[in-house]
Amino acid sequence: MERQKKMKIRLVLISILVLVLAGACQPTSSEEPKRNDMVICLGKSPLNLDPRYNIDAASFRVTQVMFNGLVKKGPNMTLVPDLAEKWEVKNDRIWTFTLKPGVKFHNGHALTAQDVAYTFRSILDPKYKSPKRQSYTAIEAIETPDDRTVIIHTREPYSPLLVNLTLGIVPRKEAEAVGDDFAQHPIGTGPYRFLSYEADQEIRLTAFDKHFKGKPKIKDLTFRIIPDDTTRYLELIKGNIDFVQNAITPDMVPVVENKKEFQVIRIGGTNYEYLGFNLDDPVLKDRRVRAAIACALDIPQMIQAIQKGLAAPATGILPPQHWAYEGDVETYPYQPDKSRELLDQAGFPVKEDGFRFSLTYKTSLSEIAKLKAEIVQQQLKEVGIQVDIRGYEWATLLSDLTSGNFQIYSLQWVGVSDPDIYFLALSSQSIPPAGRNRGRYVNPKVDALIEKNRRTIDKAERKKITSQIQKIVAHDLPYVSLWYPMNVVIMKSGLAGFEPYPDGDLSDLWKIYWKD
Amino acid sequence: MTTFLLKRFLLLIPTVLGVVTLVFMLRPLLPGDPVDFMLGENALSADREQLRAEYDLDKPVFTQYVIFMTKLIKGDLGRSIHTRRPVLDMILERYPATLLLAGAAMFVAVLVAVPLGVAAAVRKDTVVDNLSMLGALLGISMPNFWLGPLLIILFSINLGWLPVSGMRGPLYIILPAVTLGTAMAAILTRMTRSSMLEVIREDYVTTAKAKGLAPGKVIFKHALKNALIPILTLVGLQFGALLAGSIITETIFAWPGIGSLVITAINSRDFPLLQGVVMTISLSYVLINLITDLLYAVADPRIRMGGDR
Repeated sequence: MERQKKMKIRLVLISILVLVLAGACQPTSSEEPKRNDMVICLGKSPLNLDPRYNIDAASFRVTQVMFNGLVKKGPNMTLVPDLAEKWEVKNDRIWTFTLKPGVKFHNGHALTAQDVAYTFRSILDPKYKSPKRQSYTAIEAIETPDDRTVIIHTREPYSPLLVNLTLGIVPRKEAEAVGDDFAQHPIGTGPYRFLSYEADQEIRLTAFDKHFKGKPKIKDLTFRIIPDDTTRYLELIKGNIDFVQNAITPDMVPVVENKKEFQVIRIGGTNYEYLGFNLDDPVLKDRRVRAAIACALDIPQMIQAIQKGLAAPATGILPPQHWAYEGDVETYPYQPDKSRELLDQAGFPVKEDGFRFSLTYKTSLSEIAKLKAEIVQQQLKEVGIQVDIRGYEWATLLSDLTSGNFQIYSLQWVGVSDPDIYFLALSSQSIPPAGRNRGRYVNPKVDALIEKNRRTIDKAERKKITSQIQKIVAHDLPYVSLWYPMNVVIMKSGLAGFEPYPDGDLSDLWKIYWKD
Repeated sequence: MTTFLLKRFLLLIPTVLGVVTLVFMLRPLLPGDPVDFMLGENALSADREQLRAEYDLDKPVFTQYVIFMTKLIKGDLGRSIHTRRPVLDMILERYPATLLLAGAAMFVAVLVAVPLGVAAAVRKDTVVDNLSMLGALLGISMPNFWLGPLLIILFSINLGWLPVSGMRGPLYIILPAVTLGTAMAAILTRMTRSSMLEVIREDYVTTAKAKGLAPGKVIFKHALKNALIPILTLVGLQFGALLAGSIITETIFAWPGIGSLVITAINSRDFPLLQGVVMTISLSYVLINLITDLLYAVADPRIRMGGDR
């Protein structure tokens, strides 16, 4: 009896083991058929798939392949036609767009001027509470004389309008009918149409065969959401992810690069990291002190240590590949001796304790932000400046920056696109809470140029004005420019045809294909 | 028994009220202006005011509290700022995944801990005892954020037996459940051992042995049954802890539960969502405590009799 019982238990245990193993070991065949799907990894859950409301990067990426705007950003941030075939500007205030013929929404309905007008009107209507409303308030009226013509009137000449017209166009009837629920089953004109969204798991899209630019080469697209850095890396090397953009930590990129299964593409990015000063501060309001701090920092070394070389030294907010970039500006290479000299001139001799003065450096709690602060602390110590690092939770940091309760901080500008960013960042009109001129930088000359830039439609003219702004700002040093992190795409070696964009735009994803 | 139940249910009222009040206080006590996070820093002041009014942020805190409570009674947790969906829907979508994970972790823990604890107690001061206690020490010392990736590297990358992350089939739960259940298994093993050691010395166990019952019967029928009562309490309390503790494990394994939602809510400063999630976790804890107490009463007649005497 006893033996029989034991045998039975053993049998049950063995069969469980066999079942588990059989389930785990999926059959692997060496000759896989050509794939017609692709898995892209995201580090965060997209919060809203309605282009009128989303403000998070993950949502941007997903909506970029489902929607099109009137215009889109080209590789050097120049705006090129997308849904619009052409446009012209009259009196600097009247923008007339002609839509491309034959554009269809995912449900088969033709795109009309009414859809375009509705998209912007719904953002402008306070009832819809779009967080993007502020960017469109320059619009005075929208007219649709026929199905293919959209006329936008601005209150005054306003050049940043165009960059805001990259926003995805939604179909009027469908969006109106469902209201906020539109984000649950979005319909656009993009190369991929929405299938399903499993919360915090994956978003499934499928090729839209009638896409106006052409049928996508790969049929099924899945965005998988993996929040943990390590897990994302492990899924990648396990082979479960085909494509990932800027979601693998810099120290892991060289490891992946050494594997023949993957290809790594690096291009200059549109993010800008900097150290900001409080210009109301009695010590920091002296330009010599700011220049001394800039000269005391060995930025190429910091790039190696923090970004593992995956960044380029910065000279200003606009990155080198931007159409309005000005490279001929004052720079501050690493010269500790000059730094000490400047500090002596400014009247800050080394005191008995070995320091000239001390500064408080406020930053967020992220690992990289802390590492950056520690390196700055170390390098400034060499020239006799004591730095006291304070790490804060994001909300506290932001409220201190807004109220001016800081000396130095470090942050980054993400997705720099239009030169009008200078208005938000450095115009005296943008001192918090009105905008993000957190350092309280005031230069009437720069204010005038920024204003002129907003009111000038001609691109060549804007480039000239922007160049002047960049030169003055580089001299005045409200920020120490650190670096532009690169855009890093890792994809399977079998994939080809992908054109990376500096801002990580995925709208050209429909061109990607598996090699034979 | 009735008095006991009544007492227990009445006690719920202040507890729940406390939880809900604390959750409400999260918003006024958190630093920063929530409107900044909703609209961005360069929003129009008119839009800010409108939003402030809509979320009742323009009213005194006490009025806000009354409004919050009134809505809550109607089951209205508000809408998420970013997704614009009802918070309750978002929580209900993810809660089953968290319950499943916590349940599986508990299963793993009990499956490992009870036999190990009993073996350690019966074979006190032998190799079996020492090894189980060493294992327990290890289990409790390994943090989830370290154990999780370690298990993935071993079982998914090197051996290729189990999937890395996600929730796409039955196999996907094994690694997260083991990760989440390990610390719990360690605590339970120690608890089972000490509880068993105490019971083994009782007179009725000696009597059972003297009667000539088989050792297995004495251990499992007489000793373990009585030793289970404190273990049951611990299991109940720990289940609540598992629900809350699953945040890290869910993030590591991309498990689409309420833990991932907490992270999303914090990262995107979605305060209605954050309040909703915290409240759900706290209320689950309260509910599980209640169930534990009730089960405890069922298991141990002395407790339920106490009230009637």
